[in-house]
Amino acid sequence: MSDRTLVLVFLRGGADGLSLVPPVTEDAYHRARPTLAMKPGSGHRLDDRFELHPLLAPLGRWFDDGKLSVIPACGSDDETRSHFYAQDLMDHGGRNVSGGWLGRFLRQAQGADGLGVLEAVTLGTAVSECLRGAPTATAFTSLADLGGDDDHALMGAFGALTSGDPLLGGPALAALAANERLAELRRAADHPAHGAIYPTNAQHGDTAADFGARLRLTARLIQAGVGLKVACVDLDGWDSHFLQDTVIAPRLTALGHGLSAFATDLGKDLDHVSVVVISEFGRRVAENSSLGTDHGRGGACLILGGGTTGGVQGKWPGLTSDFLEGPGDVAVANDYREVLWPVLKRHGATDRAGIFPEQVSSALRDQ
Amino acid sequence: MITRRHLLFGSGVGLLALTGCGPQQAVDLVLGVEGPATAVNPAATLDLPAHVLRRLTFGEHPDDRPALLALAKSPDAAVEAWVVRQLHPETIDDSICERLIRRREALAQPLGELYEFKERVLLHELTAATLLRAVYSKRQLHEQLCHFWNDHFNVDMSKGECAWVTVAYDRDVIRPHALGRFSDLLRAVALSPAMLWYLDGRVNRVDGKGIKPNENYARELLELHTLGVDGGYTQQDVMEVARCLSGWTVRDQHQWRKGTVEFHRDAHDNGAKTVLGQTIAAGGGERDLDQVLRIVATHPSTARHVARKLCTRFIADDPSAAAIDQVAQAFTVSNGDLALTMRALITSDAFRDPAGFASKLKRPFHYVASCLRATAAHSNGGHAVLDYLGRLGHQPFQFPTPDGQPENAEAWTGTLLWRWRFAGAFARSTLAGTRVDTDALVKRFGSPAATAAHLFGRQADAREMTALAAAGGDALALALGSPAFQRC
Repeated sequence: MSDRTLVLVFLRGGADGLSLVPPVTEDAYHRARPTLAMKPGSGHRLDDRFELHPLLAPLGRWFDDGKLSVIPACGSDDETRSHFYAQDLMDHGGRNVSGGWLGRFLRQAQGADGLGVLEAVTLGTAVSECLRGAPTATAFTSLADLGGDDDHALMGAFGALTSGDPLLGGPALAALAANERLAELRRAADHPAHGAIYPTNAQHGDTAADFGARLRLTARLIQAGVGLKVACVDLDGWDSHFLQDTVIAPRLTALGHGLSAFATDLGKDLDHVSVVVISEFGRRVAENSSLGTDHGRGGACLILGGGTTGGVQGKWPGLTSDFLEGPGDVAVANDYREVLWPVLKRHGATDRAGIFPEQVSSALRDQ
Repeated sequence: MITRRHLLFGSGVGLLALTGCGPQQAVDLVLGVEGPATAVNPAATLDLPAHVLRRLTFGEHPDDRPALLALAKSPDAAVEAWVVRQLHPETIDDSICERLIRRREALAQPLGELYEFKERVLLHELTAATLLRAVYSKRQLHEQLCHFWNDHFNVDMSKGECAWVTVAYDRDVIRPHALGRFSDLLRAVALSPAMLWYLDGRVNRVDGKGIKPNENYARELLELHTLGVDGGYTQQDVMEVARCLSGWTVRDQHQWRKGTVEFHRDAHDNGAKTVLGQTIAAGGGERDLDQVLRIVATHPSTARHVARKLCTRFIADDPSAAAIDQVAQAFTVSNGDLALTMRALITSDAFRDPAGFASKLKRPFHYVASCLRATAAHSNGGHAVLDYLGRLGHQPFQFPTPDGQPENAEAWTGTLLWRWRFAGAFARSTLAGTRVDTDALVKRFGSPAATAAHLFGRQADAREMTALAAAGGDALALALGSPAFQRC
């Protein structure tokens, strides 16, 4: 069994890729967004074309260390530009498939030792759609949801009564050990390691504090070694038709401070972790009349962790009118499955067709 | 919140006050634990009534043993009478359970109307109803067979329009035929919108210009639904079956009369075919389907394959060849009559061998349902209980691959911690919408030891009694989490 953890951060609502990583040196970008465009030099420089949004500044050092990859113009083959259809497609990893892509991944990567107790989790109120079909999955928002110290004696009694059982004796020991690790985790002081500082309500707002708390809980589970393979965390509310800067500022703050604190907190453990940040689609290149942007195609994907090579990756189709899609959207030059597959492979997947059975259009692959 | 952790095996007298009698009261009274003091199996090992009431149901309810024993003078005759009734579910009044299910209006909608509901609503309603039926239906063997066939003919609500049409699949395809004739069940499945979506039958078409049939359903029909992987068919047979079934499709959500299954003659390969050595003449059109289904349903490998799976579910993870032969024989002789096939299984020596009693690990869904049944709990089938099915990895209608949820114990032993957590949360009545009255349960059986004997189907041994006594207020939880209760 791989001891690696994949953390999926889904930016729901259609996050504007051109805000996450603005191509500040492209004229077409400034022409299309006279009000919203970022001036060159306002954010952390990634390469000759891209910068990080200023509110993502905390991620700059991870990019410089080669722990953060940026894939612009990333998206799916969805052309409806509907949140519902596009999220559904990206959660399932195909149009006519059973279960979600992480569910299929977990079934494929399942070890001979059977199910882990906390193999797949959603830090939220309901198990994510992309985990559908996983051998086991649970949703929670705090450790208290996983039981408290008041059942410690009962768990011990279960273990004692089961220990001699020919079939269940071994699994009982494993269950007790996992339970003990969770109990230690509950008892341990909740202090982030390596001086990591997660966002707070007072300083960064509720959105960032809440997102940070979920990442911190994920880090605790990783540090406790409970066998976590996949964690899903949503960051909602990116649908910025109106006053885009106001809508996305608290979310960018959450993402920048949250992920940076998470990476710091993990320390060396980050080598065994991949954080993937995706959104169902990006947004129209041109700003609209209410200082917002409308539903588009290509967005941006971020990958943070020990296994990534860093840098700006993938193809960039450019923003001149010849290369835009439909009503003026960033072309999807990098299919999300092309981006996810190398990550899944590193986390133990072996058969791509078993996870993403549908073909990525060859036009896209050969671009 | 009132904590209802009563002293089951301790010395104290627990609270008896019933709290929160609401609109559910009438149903509660019928489903509840109130009843005559109940005899339990006095022996140290399971007897035949205990075995039958645990292996062929979703758990032994406090009413079950007295009701069974009242059917005849001798226990053996009573078991026989009970089995006959269970094999003919239409003779059993199940109006209380049906009343519970009727509250879930979405589940009664005609096929086309199902598309008016949100997918997650249908998934929740169908999952909740499946659990409530397992817990409250008096047609327990029928319920077990419904689960068996939903595994055998697995569909997954997350694929395509299965999200909507699976409600009709369970209701109109699986349930009416679960103890009927195999060939009728097979045909209903083949022509169901759910299976046409799940295994791509709807896109199995030819156009005369080179489009080849989609083999997905044809392959699983032979490999999983009928002959079995070693059943003696070839790749050529798969391709021929796919040709026979080409042209059958289902109208999708964007069309008028959505969900309607129909045959498109122009998409059907109307040439001659040879399936498992039998010739199907050219020009058969939509009749090809019936020819193919007749060939596979009556193939000797199908009798063996179905018999093996039934024996694995109801006798042992690794059933003997003798048991399989006996059940396969009954399947063949009865022309696939599933009630007669099950009767042969239940009367077989293998099923009645005491060495096999309490030898099967309950799968998680069965485990959860049996906790509720054994304690005569009240439950609304809400999220608090259903979430555990997800943690335990055993949600109905959500298994991705067509082989269905695994049956062998080893596939499920990793779920132990969540089973224990469920036992704890359930017995302490901390699951919203689900309540167990421990005092009433113990009162009904007259003593803690008798209550344990009810839960285990036999007298608790010294080690178990010591552990239960030491658990104090958590004795019921411990009993439900114990290795004895994990088995059926």
